[in-house]
Amino acid sequence: MDRPEDPAGGQEIAEREEERISVATQWQLMWWRFRRHRLAMIGTAVVLLFYAAVVFADFLAYADPGASEAQRSLLPPQRIHLFQDGRLAPYVYGLTGKRDPMTFKRVYTPDPEKKIPVRFFARGFEYRFLGVFLTDRHLIGLEGARAEEGLFVLGTDEQGRDLWSRLMYGTRTSLTIGLLGVAMSLVLGVVLGGISGLYGGLLDTVIQRIIEILRSIPTIPLWMGLAAALPNDWTVMQVYFAITLIISLVGWTELARVVRGRFLSLREEDFVMAAELCGSSRTRIIVSHLIPSFLSHIIAATTLAIPAMIISETSLSFLGLGLRPPAISWGVLLQQAQNIQALAISPWLLSASVPVIIVILALNFMGDGLRDAADPYGQ
Amino acid sequence: MATKPTRREFLRDAALAAGGTALAGALPAATASAQGAKAPEAKIGAQLIGKLEGPELVLDATKWPKKFAEAPMLAEMVKAGKLPPVEKRVPDEPMVVKPLHSIGRYGGTWRRGFTGPGDGENGNRIVSTDKILFWDYTGNKVMPCVAKEWKQSDDGKSVTIHLRKGMKWSDGAPFTANDFMFWYEEVYLNKDLVPTPHPDFMANGKSGSIRKVDDFTVVFEFQDPNFLFVDILAGSTAIGGGQATQAQAGRGMGAYMPAHYIKQFLPKFSSKEEVEKKAKAAGFDSWVSYIKSRWDWALNPELPVLTPWKTVTPINTPAWVLERNPYYMGVDTAGNQLPYIDRISMTLAENLEVLNLRAIAGQYDLQERHTALAKLPVFLENRAKVGYDVRLDPALNGSDATLQTNQAYEADPEIAKWLHTSDFRRALSMGIDRDQLNETFWVGVGTSGSVAPAESLPYSPGPEWRKKWSTLDVKQANALLDKIGLGKKDGEGYRLRTDGKGRLRLELQTSAGAFVPHTQIAEMIKEQWKKIGVQADVKEMERSLFFTRAASNEHQIALWANDGSEVLFLFPRHALPLDPVQALLGTPIARWFASNGAQGKGPKDPRMISALEMYRSANGKKTQERYKVAQEIWKILVDEQYSIGTVGLSPATMGVRIVSNKLGNIPARQTNAQHARTPCSSHPATFFYKA
Amino acid sequence: MLAYLARRLILAVLTTWAVSVLAYVVIQLPPGDYISSYIAQMSASGSFVSQQEAEALRQQYGLDKPIWVQYMRWMGMVMQGNFGMALEWHRPVSEVIGDRLWLTMAVSGAAILLTWLLALPIGIYSAVRQYSVGDYVATFIGFIGLAVPSFMLALVLMYLGFTLFGMNIGGLFSDEMAQAPWSWTKAWDLIKHLPLPAVILGLGGTAQLIRIMRANLLDELRKPYVVTARARGLSEWRVILKYPVRVALNPFASTVGYLLPYVVSGSIIVSLVLSLPTVGPLLLRALVAQDMFLAGTIVLLLGLMTVIGTLISDLLLMWIDPRIRLEGRK
Repeated sequence: MDRPEDPAGGQEIAEREEERISVATQWQLMWWRFRRHRLAMIGTAVVLLFYAAVVFADFLAYADPGASEAQRSLLPPQRIHLFQDGRLAPYVYGLTGKRDPMTFKRVYTPDPEKKIPVRFFARGFEYRFLGVFLTDRHLIGLEGARAEEGLFVLGTDEQGRDLWSRLMYGTRTSLTIGLLGVAMSLVLGVVLGGISGLYGGLLDTVIQRIIEILRSIPTIPLWMGLAAALPNDWTVMQVYFAITLIISLVGWTELARVVRGRFLSLREEDFVMAAELCGSSRTRIIVSHLIPSFLSHIIAATTLAIPAMIISETSLSFLGLGLRPPAISWGVLLQQAQNIQALAISPWLLSASVPVIIVILALNFMGDGLRDAADPYGQ
Repeated sequence: MATKPTRREFLRDAALAAGGTALAGALPAATASAQGAKAPEAKIGAQLIGKLEGPELVLDATKWPKKFAEAPMLAEMVKAGKLPPVEKRVPDEPMVVKPLHSIGRYGGTWRRGFTGPGDGENGNRIVSTDKILFWDYTGNKVMPCVAKEWKQSDDGKSVTIHLRKGMKWSDGAPFTANDFMFWYEEVYLNKDLVPTPHPDFMANGKSGSIRKVDDFTVVFEFQDPNFLFVDILAGSTAIGGGQATQAQAGRGMGAYMPAHYIKQFLPKFSSKEEVEKKAKAAGFDSWVSYIKSRWDWALNPELPVLTPWKTVTPINTPAWVLERNPYYMGVDTAGNQLPYIDRISMTLAENLEVLNLRAIAGQYDLQERHTALAKLPVFLENRAKVGYDVRLDPALNGSDATLQTNQAYEADPEIAKWLHTSDFRRALSMGIDRDQLNETFWVGVGTSGSVAPAESLPYSPGPEWRKKWSTLDVKQANALLDKIGLGKKDGEGYRLRTDGKGRLRLELQTSAGAFVPHTQIAEMIKEQWKKIGVQADVKEMERSLFFTRAASNEHQIALWANDGSEVLFLFPRHALPLDPVQALLGTPIARWFASNGAQGKGPKDPRMISALEMYRSANGKKTQERYKVAQEIWKILVDEQYSIGTVGLSPATMGVRIVSNKLGNIPARQTNAQHARTPCSSHPATFFYKA
Repeated sequence: MLAYLARRLILAVLTTWAVSVLAYVVIQLPPGDYISSYIAQMSASGSFVSQQEAEALRQQYGLDKPIWVQYMRWMGMVMQGNFGMALEWHRPVSEVIGDRLWLTMAVSGAAILLTWLLALPIGIYSAVRQYSVGDYVATFIGFIGLAVPSFMLALVLMYLGFTLFGMNIGGLFSDEMAQAPWSWTKAWDLIKHLPLPAVILGLGGTAQLIRIMRANLLDELRKPYVVTARARGLSEWRVILKYPVRVALNPFASTVGYLLPYVVSGSIIVSLVLSLPTVGPLLLRALVAQDMFLAGTIVLLLGLMTVIGTLISDLLLMWIDPRIRLEGRK
């Protein structure tokens, strides 16, 4: 992003600005540059919002994601009426459902006599917040009725389970896999890329070749093969971690490349030579001098790697090779929507695709902004 | 449905619909063997279930046509001198079929979808009139087929089959008793090809044999009475299932084979080096794998067959195409040689969604296989637009998703104890809300209940056994579980094990079910069992692993369909553990039964032992007695709940029929059962294109 | 230059070998083998496969030998051009894969071509008319391609195609042409069906390329020689196209090397959804059925194609960037 043109005759202002810039820390510089990138700021806000949803998933969900009920099967999204007699008093209508014997679709009719008020911070199913605090408060709920039985913001799936609540849990799973996967990639990338860049020579060549080879292999067949190899009687948790590992095994190459590139260029920098001359140990050089200078790049590259992780998990689960029910993730939700009857009759099942798109866009904008901000040669 | 109907409109429509379906429901009840003894309550989908009907055979030789006609495409070949005239091609004693509605027209290509080389049954079931005996369209009465007549000796030790004089293979060679002897002597007794004798061809553990009487008569003989054998010949079994089906996919069964063609692939008729050379040249490892691909009608277009259509483009290509067999033995009552339809063209669908999408788009003319019940609303929506109709054919088996408890389970003594306790199983059964399952996964069209077969079958123990132990009764279930000693529960309401090792957890094993989503059903059952305090862990696995685990006796409860079990003596494996090939109720027990105690481990449960003994005695009993034996066995099975049934008697398995409006002689309802080789009992050779 | 070429070739060979080992290992990982799959399938359709038969089959297919022996055997066969029998299909692997590999490449190639055709002008436009409405719109569309999973797009488009236009947009050929032998009509039929899968596949890579093109071109446009050229009176478009674009194309060519595996991968999932007769659906089936010869060969060939594609892109790079050519002479 360009720096705005100097206002005509702003010599003094420019000078003060120059001074500010010259004494600002590296992080402050980054922040200032980042701030100007509007899309990046929006992206970051969205990402933070989503990760907040990860923490508060149980709170944001109002129905037990596993509570199935055939009589609520395939309910379309329900309208929440906001005003009652001119006052702001949100409510929903009670619904009765029946299968139309001619079309075989489930038909739901709202009962205008039955108005159920919607409450905030209502009571619902029990859960442990952060795994510790037992509570039953949720963002919204119904008064006088169980949320599972009356409130359907995004409709229900084939088994009558509330889609919004499942989406909340799906967000939690998918985003954490994304983070974990990226973390593993990061470790692999930094270690291997660092060794490659720092020590050079034969080690460098070998690692470089390995990276090249890995990058030339079409990833999906490899994933498919690895995922198909997972013992099918593993628990959901085990499969979850295995999938994360598999995905991260391919992602590390990009990070390693960036790390190596940075190490290589930084090695020649004057300040490193100065540190060496002063007698600092290798470790000290790496930790106190090298790492801070490429940290910003790493952060940028990492952020840009998360979307790939998310899409990988979604794709694998979609193929039936990744997470499977009863696990709930975006991929699993989409897999359950990948059929004709969903598309033709209950398209709201595809709503899981919306957060996928939004998060990926947001992460890309954020990563772009970080990368631009971290690049010392940017304007 | 642009606008949601008002409440009043909706209620009115519902009432009309209910009345309409009640009316429609009353009609099939009028025909004897169709839907059951009493009129059923107005069931959803009844308007899509028609009257059971089908073509009949004309057995009286005096009524057979004297002059014959043939399809135009064959007439041309006769004119060109490539085929002998139709009188010489049709047997002197043809199979005369009275078409269901009218004499048909020749011509047309039947478009279908299939899913790959493993989907042999897709074509097998259409051409199964190469069976020695068959059933009528109700699936209850044995009829001649390839055989003109049969007679069972009074002592039940032999069945004499009379073949049709003048009958020929699809390449014009005569079909005689020699083809039976060839199969018996050169294939069945050849240990390289058939390592162990097949239980279907045994009585009391002793192998049967075939003897030629003359060119058109063979006798199947046993050392002990085997009254069941007529049913075996008529059913979908290794011996009676027809050469096309039973020699397909590497098997070597079917009771007869084209000797004049298969000879060249056997070492005996040339030399081992010769056949090995031929095999290698064709890319096969050995003469055994080569010959198995040669006698496979779906893979080898040159194989002579007796079926109405034969393969021209094999099954392992993107299109499996069948064309009419000019020597087919069937004619209609006017003397027209069957089949009417010239060609069957099956296109490969990469996955089931694509197949269903093509069906919806009207790219198939008649498809009952792989069409999913869950997509019924979409099928119905597109009917008028595209020009097809939808029919539902309920099956006869009690449960499409059956919880098979492993009666030989040992790995965890605590769990084993409970699996072997009747009241435990009954409680589990009563904790299942079958109506919920029915509504969610069978669009409400199935019948909730036990594993017992349909009431219309002579094997049925009676209507009261549908609901025994098989209705939702959470109170009684909880009471039973408390009574047997599982009364202690943990903080979350789950029952604890009595050996102090924590919560009682049952493992429910599923595989990606072909016609019904077993895993999701298991998930729902798991939710339902929360109310009776039982925790279930659902484990989905790939099919081969599913069966491997079952074979090594590792599973606790496995979810599978029980189709085929409705004709108990022909396909018992889902009702009783006695076939080591597949015994979800306990492989060690099956081994023990099959080896007469030499291998495996017998059951300790006296009622299971009694059921198995009753089964063993069935071969030696005449038909009416056998029915009674079956009824007694079912009574035990339902009362003991070794297999917990959920929802069945449904069209989920090959019962959703998409029929193009252009086809004629299509029955309103056809018997949907394995032994009837659906759709074969409706004689697809009589289907025709109206224009 | 020759040294460079030689290096790339050696790397290509090494990569292919690594792919083969990986492919083989991965396919053998699941417990059981093809025979257990086969038995399960037979059991499910009510057939009888005894223990002895199973053992005999295993011996026939050589599945009872240790894994490295099987691998050597396989590599030996592959070197001779014999890819073995596809166990499920009872046909030689080469026949089963047959056309599909070329169709996979056709789809992938079309996707890359489309990506270039879209990204190039949009990238240039974005750079030249920075911050204009067009720039933002183009960037946005690019991002959509990046963010929407390709199979999602495929699914929705396929359904829309059916409900709105009443046509079955899955597949690469119309019904009549599907079984027909190759001819110009068939080729044209293929080309008619290619745009949709190509767009779906290419959209993801397009965003990347647009951004790269834009960034690079922006860098170039600021350089002094551009100002000089402008000052000298060259027309605006000539200024841009003659030098800056050519330089900006440099990373373009090198990214093709990595675009190819990405697109080939993506085509697998999209093929599954759209039921394209490419290698993707075949691979999934083979993996599930543990049909080792088929799955292994597909992965090997895919890897090989990708390596070749990368090699070609390296050659392209050499042609475009004279520095590399000259470097070799040092």
